[in-house]
Amino acid sequence: MILSVGAFVRVAALLLVAVVLQLTALSQIDILGGHADVVVLVVAAVAYYAGSVPGSATGFAAGFLLDLLTGATMGASSLVLTAVGYAVGRFREVRDPSHGLLPIPVGAAATAGWVTAFAAVSLMLDIGARVSPLVIRDMIVTVLLNALLALPVFTGCRKLLRPSLAVDPLELRRRRRAPREAGPIGLRGLEV
Amino acid sequence: MYDRKAVRRRRAVLAVFVALSIAILTAYFGESGGGLFHTLQRGAQEAFAPIETGATRALKPVRDFFGWAGDTIDAKDQNAELKREVQQLRSDLAEAQTSLRDANQLKAIAALHEENYFPRSTEPVTARVIARSPTVWYSSVKIDKGSGDGLRVNQPVIAAGGLVGKVTGVTSGTAEVRLITDGESGVSAQVFPQGVSGVVRPEVGNLENLLLEHIESGRRVTEGTLVITSGFTSSKTESLFPRGIPVGRVSKVDLDELETYQRVHVEPFADLRRIDIVQVLTRRGVAQEAAALTEAGG
Repeated sequence: MILSVGAFVRVAALLLVAVVLQLTALSQIDILGGHADVVVLVVAAVAYYAGSVPGSATGFAAGFLLDLLTGATMGASSLVLTAVGYAVGRFREVRDPSHGLLPIPVGAAATAGWVTAFAAVSLMLDIGARVSPLVIRDMIVTVLLNALLALPVFTGCRKLLRPSLAVDPLELRRRRRAPREAGPIGLRGLEV
Repeated sequence: MYDRKAVRRRRAVLAVFVALSIAILTAYFGESGGGLFHTLQRGAQEAFAPIETGATRALKPVRDFFGWAGDTIDAKDQNAELKREVQQLRSDLAEAQTSLRDANQLKAIAALHEENYFPRSTEPVTARVIARSPTVWYSSVKIDKGSGDGLRVNQPVIAAGGLVGKVTGVTSGTAEVRLITDGESGVSAQVFPQGVSGVVRPEVGNLENLLLEHIESGRRVTEGTLVITSGFTSSKTESLFPRGIPVGRVSKVDLDELETYQRVHVEPFADLRRIDIVQVLTRRGVAQEAAALTEAGG
């Protein structure tokens, strides 16, 4: 990612919209006992397109904002989302994926990591009560809903971040395509 | 070839953010309610309250639509011409149902006050839910009334049916309500009218089941009996609710569980999945004083 004021503003605006949308609408829409979580998708999308360093920074900022506005234990969400952002960013850097449908498994995996790690952190920190098995159902529903939302969220984030991206995975894919036909030397590309 | 400098920088950034998160966690647990991070949270919530209120109102049709979709998921297919007409009717219906649900909730809250066991020394302040915690681990909602309306920390909050939680944080225009299904919640309660006492604790993740724990040994509890707040402080809880707020009804009594763990299951009266309107039970007079002060101030 090209570090510039514009890039910071874009990511900040993205996070703000995602957190407000999450708290005021998505958290209140109950689907099969769970709800979608767009914040982790945005963190995963930024990490996927921009890499591990912007991914972990975005994860930290998103978690901090989420904890600030929900009154939850400060630092817990930051810790987990930092790890999620870093992991997705590293996946992109190491594997260099470019398939158009990859945001779906990436979004689902990031969400699964987030809900599982956050549950573990919450249990370790300050949940003293008995935990119902229904929590697992809620987690699974959230992962499935996020898998459905991943593609549009990733597409939206890519469009917004594109001016600041050093490397766009989808552009790379287009460049890697083999030429349809190779004509005689000097006439390549003219399809003769 | 990989760039050693880039690897070092990447690892350093990760280490810094993880260390920062752990430092914030440690500081947050170590500080009092008036510490830096708690103050920061209150400030941020106060600053974002107008945005959240606006967004809540703007996104209400979206929530209504999904609420409606959930209720009518089994509806039969209809032909294309009728669909256009039905679309319009659905939109109107969702709006009407929402208004009706609000009215029913307000009516149910009003009916609560008529019960003979309900505490009389309180002044209810009606508020609307504007945000909800996104995880099941921290079960809390934010409401659109705050200290300017007479709300204070630890005041009980009721909704249609009965108790839903207590105020855990206030700004001038909003308040944070920790629900009774939050992992941290504990409410001193008793079975009415037998008087068997215990502490109502949540089963995290299951909004339809609460546990009345620490029941005195040897006492019998029968299914279907009413559970109300007992109005005294227990060593197991941190809050103090006035006596007589209905919490739920005893839904399951397992004699083995009762003897071994001294607990029974309670189904809450309030529908904690869909709370739109709540009432905060302020001390009688506090709301009027706050209103008078506001008027006097300008």
